[in-house]
Amino acid sequence: MPCLDYRLSRRAMLGAASATFMGFPLRQLLALEGTSHPQKAEHVILFWNGGGMSHIDTWDPKPGRPTQGEFEAIKTSVPGMQISEIFPELSKQMHHCSLIRSVAGTQGAHGRATYHLQTSYSQFPNLIHPGFGSVVVHEKKKLGDLPAYVSVSGRAPRSGYLGQTCEAYYVGGPGEKDPYLSFPADINQERGNKRLERLAKFNSRFSSGNTNETLKATQTSIKDAVRLMRSPALQAFELDKVPTTTLNRYGDTAFGRGTLVAKQLVETGVRFVQVNRGGFDTHSENFPAMRNHGEVMDPALASLVEDLAESGMLEKTLIVMLSEFGRTPRINDNAGRDHYPTVFSCFLAGGGIRGGTVIGASDENGEQPAERPVKIPDLHATFCHALGIDPAKEVMTPLARALPLVDGGEVVSELFA
Amino acid sequence: MNTKLSVALVGIVSCATLLSQADLRAASPDGSEIGRILMAENAAKGVKHKPMPIANDATFLRRVYVDLIGRIPTEDEIRKFAKMPKATRRVALVDELLANARFADTWTVFYSDMLRLRTNADGGAAAIAFVHKAIEDGMPYDQLAKRFISANGKAGATPEVGFVLGDNADPMALAGATSQVFLGIRVACAQCHDHPFDVWTQHDFYGLAAYFGKTRRVETQFTNTVYTTEVDQSTILWPPLGEGDASERKPMPPRFPFAFAKSDGASRYISRLEQLRTAKALALNANKKKKPEASVGDLLTSLDKKVDKAARGKKRNTLDVAAEAKRDARNLRIGSGIASQSELRTELAKLITNPKNRYFSRSFANRVWAHLVGRGIVEPIDDLSDNNAPSHPKTLDYLADEFVASGYDLKTLVRMIVTSVPYQRSHVYGIDELTQNELEDAFLATPMRRMLSEVIYDSVVTAGHLFEFKHAAGQNLKTVWQSSRVTKASSSSGSVAGQLVQTDGAPKAMPAKNQLAAAGSYDLENTIEFDFDAILKKSQEKEEVAIERMKVMSKEELEAMRMQQQARERRNVEYIDRFAKATIDDNPSFISSFRMASPAAPDHFLRVFGQTDRTQLGKHRDQSPSMRQALMMLNGRLTHEASRVGELEPVYPLLVGEKANLSQAIQLVYREILTRQPSKDELAEAKTIVAEAGKLLDGMADLRWLLLNCDEFRFLP
Repeated sequence: MPCLDYRLSRRAMLGAASATFMGFPLRQLLALEGTSHPQKAEHVILFWNGGGMSHIDTWDPKPGRPTQGEFEAIKTSVPGMQISEIFPELSKQMHHCSLIRSVAGTQGAHGRATYHLQTSYSQFPNLIHPGFGSVVVHEKKKLGDLPAYVSVSGRAPRSGYLGQTCEAYYVGGPGEKDPYLSFPADINQERGNKRLERLAKFNSRFSSGNTNETLKATQTSIKDAVRLMRSPALQAFELDKVPTTTLNRYGDTAFGRGTLVAKQLVETGVRFVQVNRGGFDTHSENFPAMRNHGEVMDPALASLVEDLAESGMLEKTLIVMLSEFGRTPRINDNAGRDHYPTVFSCFLAGGGIRGGTVIGASDENGEQPAERPVKIPDLHATFCHALGIDPAKEVMTPLARALPLVDGGEVVSELFA
Repeated sequence: MNTKLSVALVGIVSCATLLSQADLRAASPDGSEIGRILMAENAAKGVKHKPMPIANDATFLRRVYVDLIGRIPTEDEIRKFAKMPKATRRVALVDELLANARFADTWTVFYSDMLRLRTNADGGAAAIAFVHKAIEDGMPYDQLAKRFISANGKAGATPEVGFVLGDNADPMALAGATSQVFLGIRVACAQCHDHPFDVWTQHDFYGLAAYFGKTRRVETQFTNTVYTTEVDQSTILWPPLGEGDASERKPMPPRFPFAFAKSDGASRYISRLEQLRTAKALALNANKKKKPEASVGDLLTSLDKKVDKAARGKKRNTLDVAAEAKRDARNLRIGSGIASQSELRTELAKLITNPKNRYFSRSFANRVWAHLVGRGIVEPIDDLSDNNAPSHPKTLDYLADEFVASGYDLKTLVRMIVTSVPYQRSHVYGIDELTQNELEDAFLATPMRRMLSEVIYDSVVTAGHLFEFKHAAGQNLKTVWQSSRVTKASSSSGSVAGQLVQTDGAPKAMPAKNQLAAAGSYDLENTIEFDFDAILKKSQEKEEVAIERMKVMSKEELEAMRMQQQARERRNVEYIDRFAKATIDDNPSFISSFRMASPAAPDHFLRVFGQTDRTQLGKHRDQSPSMRQALMMLNGRLTHEASRVGELEPVYPLLVGEKANLSQAIQLVYREILTRQPSKDELAEAKTIVAEAGKLLDGMADLRWLLLNCDEFRFLP
């Protein structure tokens, strides 16, 4: 399916023409305002923590309150900002990072909430909205040989009406070689190359005189495949050249290796990497589980932020950690916490976002947004803004109705300064 | 490569034909009426183009095998066809293929796509198995639709309920899906507002949704059993939420918004249907005397009739009848408080499948036509609204009416289309795009079609003789490193926590903890086989407890898996990866993709080649090429294994031994893969390819790899 993309829908044009402020079309004014904080982000690393990660046990501790649970709040490199003790290394990097503590979700079931958080849209029967990664690669030009959108250790959301070209390339186990990227084991390079050469001849003969676009596209797809197979950039998927010390610094876990691969990929030009991790649905025994999550995530995240900051890549790379909802401040009878969309947190770093910022707050028990509630589409509008993507741009859908890239929402502009 | 050769190979039509010259008069009598009506319509429209000729026999053979039984023909089948009497062999072949067991397999995919059935949805696997059985048994399409629309019951135990559960029994989703799938009417937009380009209002939509308003999806807490049932209160209230006073919202009365064809007495096709049905009923009655045991289907039909009778005769109160019907059904299969059928949806199903409802028959006829010819008479195929007129309305009506008159028989419809002239026409190319489009729009040329993902898969397996072992036992012994992961504590007992993993090369260094590479995992091309019969058998078990126990088991299994996974992540549990050399016989076989769980995993071969996730309404298969497809075909295990020559394959004795004959071997391989003979130049070229490889068998593998990978293989002639 081609991208059903049209920039100037009738409605959008009418809207742009009619909405004016002091003689200036509103859109133009907004655009001018947009330039006051230049969009620096070129890449995104999204850590998707499936299951609903407890906000109180991570980014929004409530020391001294009954809802706090087993973990202490610890100081960070940002005066006045505290996070959970499960992130000792990351606490030293928080001057690069920002937190939104007043994310106000609306969905309490995994499926619906995941969809909402990943697409900014509520589920609608019979239509699939694209995930944020698809939006990014739809709007940002592909760089280099590697696929523009890669999902590590799990599935990324679907590309919906943005089409197959905006789907994620999937890497099962980080660091593993994709068997489809090289000739089968018994076929040596010479024989493989010979086959490819002959195949090109067979195909061009078959299509000669035929104007069929699909035939042309088939040949292009083979060329792309061969270019990728031969690309030195493929090294970015592998970890065998990474020194053991580095591997250990990230924590030699699936998550740590996924984070390292994500880093290598964005350094090689990949636009969007989603690193998936599950096991956050802690209805029982919340605290040992979260401690374990901390042990795994802390070294990886801290090293990533530190390394990217040092190399200068952090400015160009938006790092986001997100989950479908938070968890109940009340600790249940099984020492667990249940689904809680009312208020939870989002972790951000890099991509031109001002480090050390805390946006909004939950109330004293972490039960309600107390200041500056941030809606889910606001998050997406903010991510788009960081990347210089217009969240209101409309794209045609199979229902013959154009929809904006983000379902409304306002940019959290305090993050950029 | 000389230029003569290139010229000789422009297109497939001019390629050497395997079989004798094309029979240009070959339109069969069955489909010929379609051709006549279509030509008359073209003439009336002022189409001046000359039609492309009827495709030759080799082309027809490949096309019709692919379309009817989902794979290319084998050498034996080609030979058999060549021996059939020329004048009648096309029709004879079609009849043979309609009776082939693979017909049901292949068309199950057509229905599953249309109805968005998913093996991983509640009751989805049983629903797919049910469709398969329905095709095998020749269940009329209106019956099939009725049962999907009206059924209630437990997921799996009542297979038809998979359709309603597929949309989680959500009335709004079902209103949109039912009208678009069965009638080709897109009302989904009217959920939120009056339809922007069509006549449907939001009120219409709510009236339609109200038929589903009393249906509830229920999930039992302990056993995770999912079922649908009816409740008294409808969830569909009017006016919509947020419009007007909330206290004034009242249950919306169900109302069918779509008009029937005006009955002017000329509907001969309906009387033909009635005659057919009467005759069938008589035959059935006669049979029943011999066989007292009624099937579920028969009972449901008789249940329908009871309600009908009451409605017509007013002899008894409808409610009594409904209660009686419910009791019957309950005794039959539920044994608990689930309403077996929804009265409202039964009513809706009747309206939808009423023979006077032209949307129902036209929509289906158009779908099947588009599937086979490559272009719908209405496009997009699920938009039959008034402002999207069919390009050839009389042709469509002819197809639709004949379909109704045949008793909604899928095979009759398919037979009619594939024996018609428009289906058998050649492609056109080498001319300007505009003319090509005009020819294809007028059905004077067939558009080029790429095989469906399932068909590509099964055709590779067929051509490579991979449905069965093709290497003699012990001929492909390989030493691999097997690793298993054991916990340190339990290592003495050797309990294996992880899967066995094989690697071709020796492990580089002992991989670091957790870094065990599942190297060489080509699992994107195979999966667990899915046994339709076993699933249906299970669904017919009267022991409800058995099903519930099964569910409980699977829940426990899930929990065990989860715990295992968690344990693995915990640092204090130490694992040891054990490596050992092992010898395996590398002699793979593959299952038919039509028997795989569907939709497959997102990166599976089938999905990469266009199978959809079957969730989105109106999203059809994307047949466009992608880099992932290329990688899968170039480097995948399937094409690799299909190319390798096995001693048990027919080509082997032509390569090795006394009867070796390279030319014949090459010709055989061309027929097996492309359903045609190679030209002289192609034969010479193939010989060079084989010679250059050094080893004969390698050379033949190279040739087969090329033929399987080339465009000619995946695009239908």
